[in-house]
Amino acid sequence: MRAYYRFPLLFLLPSLVGFLAFNLGPILASLLLSFISYDGLRPLTLATFRENWVGLENYRRLLEDPVFHKAFINTLFYVGVAVPLEILVALLLALGLNRPLPGVRLLRTLYLLPTVTSVVAVGLLWRWVLNPTVGPVNLSLRWVGERIQGVYGLLGITPPPWVGWLAKEGPGWLSDPAWAMWGVILASVWAGVGLRMLIFLAGLQNINKEYLEAASLDGANSLQRFAYVVLPLLSPTVFLNTLLAMIGGFQMFGLVYTMTGGGPLDSTNVLMLYLYRKAFGVFPFEMGYASAIAWVLFLILFALTYLQWTLRKRWVVEEV
Amino acid sequence: MRLLGRLWDYFVYLVLLAGGLSMLVPFFWMVSTSLKAPGAVFDLPVEVWPKELHWENYQRVLTSVPFGRWYLNSLGVALGLTFLNLTSGAMAGYAFARFRFRGQGALFLLFLATLMIPVHVLIIPLFILMRNLGWVDTFYALILPGLFDAFAIFLMRQHFLHLPKELEEAAIMDGASPWQVYWKVALPLATPALATLGTFTFLAGWNSFLWPLIVTHSLEMRPLTVGLAVFQGQFSTEWTVLMAGLTLGTIPPILVFLLAQRYFIQGLTLGSLKG
Repeated sequence: MRAYYRFPLLFLLPSLVGFLAFNLGPILASLLLSFISYDGLRPLTLATFRENWVGLENYRRLLEDPVFHKAFINTLFYVGVAVPLEILVALLLALGLNRPLPGVRLLRTLYLLPTVTSVVAVGLLWRWVLNPTVGPVNLSLRWVGERIQGVYGLLGITPPPWVGWLAKEGPGWLSDPAWAMWGVILASVWAGVGLRMLIFLAGLQNINKEYLEAASLDGANSLQRFAYVVLPLLSPTVFLNTLLAMIGGFQMFGLVYTMTGGGPLDSTNVLMLYLYRKAFGVFPFEMGYASAIAWVLFLILFALTYLQWTLRKRWVVEEV
Repeated sequence: MRLLGRLWDYFVYLVLLAGGLSMLVPFFWMVSTSLKAPGAVFDLPVEVWPKELHWENYQRVLTSVPFGRWYLNSLGVALGLTFLNLTSGAMAGYAFARFRFRGQGALFLLFLATLMIPVHVLIIPLFILMRNLGWVDTFYALILPGLFDAFAIFLMRQHFLHLPKELEEAAIMDGASPWQVYWKVALPLATPALATLGTFTFLAGWNSFLWPLIVTHSLEMRPLTVGLAVFQGQFSTEWTVLMAGLTLGTIPPILVFLLAQRYFIQGLTLGSLKG
């Protein structure tokens, strides 16, 4: 019997080949690429590495590249706004949808529909939904603006300028540099909130009902039960969900590619888009430079994950 | 107090309902636009649902770009990735769950560690590799990198670990080879896990964008996502045609999701919560 369990190679072979060729190999190559200047056109051999070695030059260039700075800040802004928003809305949704409401399964499904739709469809669709003149978002905003205007009219006061602006035009979502990132954030929260909600829902259902019953017997109201029982027990899920959302947020690409292409005026340019442009988008390709961007991005993610992991002890309650 | 609680419950329910319906608005807008007369989309006041249905938008998207070909490419890539991922993932998962060999723990950890490596680190050297192999613009480049997937291995290993060993041991007593045991006994028992992983991979494959964008260059080799994204410039003056294309492209993933919702959800939550 023991001898039987000793022949794993056949079973491991496909994954091992894939791991070495498409994972470990490329990772090492990527690190080396970030130290050379490479246009992607010449064949890549060992000699290429020797002849085009620039050391840390690519990384030094990043420090003084204004577009990189812009993309870096935009990425931080996107993650800083979209992730908390997504997590908060998803948590509230999960709390609501965790109860035995009529049609609750159907409701959950509705929230999940955007999750299974491709980013390309979401991006192109939202470009249209956010169209400033005929898109449903601005149509609704204009409708609201007109009502507010009406109320002011009834009272006989001149409304403040923003009311008139809302009733007449509304935000120029993807064409106005001040609004473009907000448009992207709106679409991304719409698309991502279902998945986060689902993970919270799974976390909520893992909570032992006895704790809640005990708290009820002790006279805790629903708000107290949430604050002192549900939230602490859910904290590992909150931790993981936030971490995953952040990692995903830093790698955001498809939405900006389809919604704005990084514009207007680089106002929605993010790190992944910049990387893509440098390596594959704009001639001459700078694959070494783009690889340096990739590694900076990786280091940010790694540091963030490490930081979260360390801080976790402060606020995540581990069930024993 | 009682009454206030009831009112609050109704209020929450209304908000959830309104939120759920608002998830549908963009989809509704997509379908509605796809049926409008091409010139009428910018007319004010806006027609919420067109009075006359212009089905010719669908005809136009099918004829003005290689839409059918893109569709088949997407299907091929999604199915190919699913097949490859299930095959290699289940085999490796079985090896980690059932066999004992030197360096097993270290290898498994190494595999899991790749989950930490974001795709963007891989794409540039992977593209160079594909070009050196002459695989750019072929299905090889689109599908073969799916040969290794740590998540698939992890999921399948978990599943095999939870299977009772007795049936497999009985087969071994009867003189079955490891491959026969795996193929005839263990794998059929793993059908739910395979369905979970399959649904998940199919959807990810159908919706994938960055890698196919990089590794396909010709019109004929684009999957639907890339085809539509790259051609949006040409379409964008014709929102009706673009929306017809999007509607057609959104049907398969939503259909697969609705049919295999249970498996899709398992795949997602298993990946993020300790099972």
